[in-house]
Amino acid sequence: MLRGADIVLRCLRAEGVDMVFGYPGGAIMPLYDALEGSGIRHILSRHEQGAVFAAEGYARSTGKTGVAIATSGPGATNLVTGIADAKMDSVPLVCITGQVRSILIGSDAFQETDVFGMTLPLTKWSRLATSIEEIPDIIAQAFYWAQAGRPGPVLLDFPVDLLKAKMEFKGPSAFSVPATSNGHAKPDFWPKLQTLLQGAKKPFVLVGAGAKLSGACEALTELLDTLQIPACATVHGLGAVPSQKPYYTGMVGMHGTKASNMALHETDLLLVFGARLDDRVTGEPSRFAPDAKIVHFEIDPAQLDRVRPCQLPIVGNLKQTVPQFHNEVRSVKLPDWSEWRAVACGPDRAEIDSTGLSQPATRFLDALFEQLPDNSFVITDVGQHQMWAAQRYRKNSPRGFITSGGLGAMGFGLPAAIGVQLANPDACVVCISGDGGFQMNLQELATVHRLKLPVKMVIIDNKYLGMVRQWQQLFYERNYAETDMSDNPDFVAISKAYGIHAALLGVDAVAGTVAPPSTAKSLFRFLQSPEPELLVFECPKEANVYPMVPAGAALSEMVFEEE
Amino acid sequence: MTHLFRIRYNNTQGTLMRILMAASRRGLPMPYVQAMPFDGAHEARLLLDVSDKQVAQLYRDWHGTVDVLAVSSMQAAEEGWDAAIEAGAHMPPASTRVDAQSRSAIA
Repeated sequence: MLRGADIVLRCLRAEGVDMVFGYPGGAIMPLYDALEGSGIRHILSRHEQGAVFAAEGYARSTGKTGVAIATSGPGATNLVTGIADAKMDSVPLVCITGQVRSILIGSDAFQETDVFGMTLPLTKWSRLATSIEEIPDIIAQAFYWAQAGRPGPVLLDFPVDLLKAKMEFKGPSAFSVPATSNGHAKPDFWPKLQTLLQGAKKPFVLVGAGAKLSGACEALTELLDTLQIPACATVHGLGAVPSQKPYYTGMVGMHGTKASNMALHETDLLLVFGARLDDRVTGEPSRFAPDAKIVHFEIDPAQLDRVRPCQLPIVGNLKQTVPQFHNEVRSVKLPDWSEWRAVACGPDRAEIDSTGLSQPATRFLDALFEQLPDNSFVITDVGQHQMWAAQRYRKNSPRGFITSGGLGAMGFGLPAAIGVQLANPDACVVCISGDGGFQMNLQELATVHRLKLPVKMVIIDNKYLGMVRQWQQLFYERNYAETDMSDNPDFVAISKAYGIHAALLGVDAVAGTVAPPSTAKSLFRFLQSPEPELLVFECPKEANVYPMVPAGAALSEMVFEEE
Repeated sequence: MTHLFRIRYNNTQGTLMRILMAASRRGLPMPYVQAMPFDGAHEARLLLDVSDKQVAQLYRDWHGTVDVLAVSSMQAAEEGWDAAIEAGAHMPPASTRVDAQSRSAIA
């Protein structure tokens, strides 16, 4: 006879789980009581939001399903932001929450919240367990749905009495549904696509997260090498296409490169691979790619036609559809797009304008990224530093750039970096945060210290809620309402209080267009240290991220500097 | 234009709520909602005042929901609501290109 808690953990092990992230409490206590000897390593965070972001970092960097555990009530509600983040960015996540005793559900008992109800809009699938007998089945289903099709979060809510109850355990369950599709596109896609390609004069490719999630980056790069069509990436597509490719124009969207934004605006045939065309990418939707026919390779039909109808939806898994496309196109003579390529990828549309290059923050990040080893991950928080980092990231690692894109959740960076480091113990893991976002989950420094994780944490400190301040400067007549952070604490002292070495780097360290050798040396030592390290870079207070596509503007209406 | 939607689904925990949320998250009033066992599964019938684009969005949302089996709809003039609810067509709008293969999102 096993307790429900033991059965949960055995079923998690059967799903390949060897690490979970969580925070204990009353209703989930039986599960914690059963951890010893379960074969599952539990990582204690210092806030449930830290746990769920860490589980996300684990999942985002590996493709495996992350698991976060919390107690009922406030523990469960603290998971909600992370669940929303996983939904927006298609992260496979299983969240397990404790719940009050079954007979008390609905009575507003102590630490009772309807987490099942409040996460219904955010989860792919969820269950409030009602019997110990169903535990193996619902765990199997949870892991299936977390990964199936477009990955996403699921939630399992276990009343504490079920975790304490006992039954004869017959073994874990397996679950799958008959596939309605093998991931391949319908065979008739090629004639239509061929017609569109032959008629195109300015074709352009947009690569999104789906390329990475499907494991199709290599196949996609081979296809793009054949097509020789200019290509860009969303923030979640960074690293999917090698940045050295001559046809690659960089990141696209609100803070994308001039080359990408102009090409996307001018294209007459847009091939979209695994991107959902959200508003950060399209600019004003009614003025997005005004002359383009759209071919949309996508696994989730809910993402089709969101901005406007696409001429050719190709529903399937990029792992199958990209090779299908390549097999057809390699034997066909395509039009000569060299003139268009010269314009789209040419020097007149240089990747970042000179104003951007002159930013101390971008010079610092260039110097830092220059020293990144091949086996590295960059995780960012949310804000100006996020966009600067995305603009300067050049590594060709599909899962190497990790950020909260769709939700834009501040506080994501540090806990996510913890999850990434635990999942990739030999990798160099760098967390770039702003002074605002870092303070939202800085309690996780305790987790870093306890586990001696060699995470390299960088704070771009401009003493403002920078991105909001930028918008206030540009669109609200410099009314800097509630964005002043000039009374930030001493981050170096805080870090040392947590037992983590820290240092301060001033703007002088990156004077000139290229950082001096002394700075490069310091950054090398910082990255190579076997210990956790914090580096605070003091950035000019009113630095802005450029280019920028203002809200309501088309991608072609980028702003390059203050007027 | 008012549409009557018929959504067939397996009546598992939360599925009906997810079906209704596709409408509620868009701020769509729901003047008529009915859910009942039907033909071995369950069926939800919703009257919604929606644009063509919203119809297509709702179809895609519902087809992407675990345990939703099928979606159909018809336009319904106000005076004909009762008949429309009783009859309920099974023809998806022309603007929608969702078919069996496109349900790879959930399997």
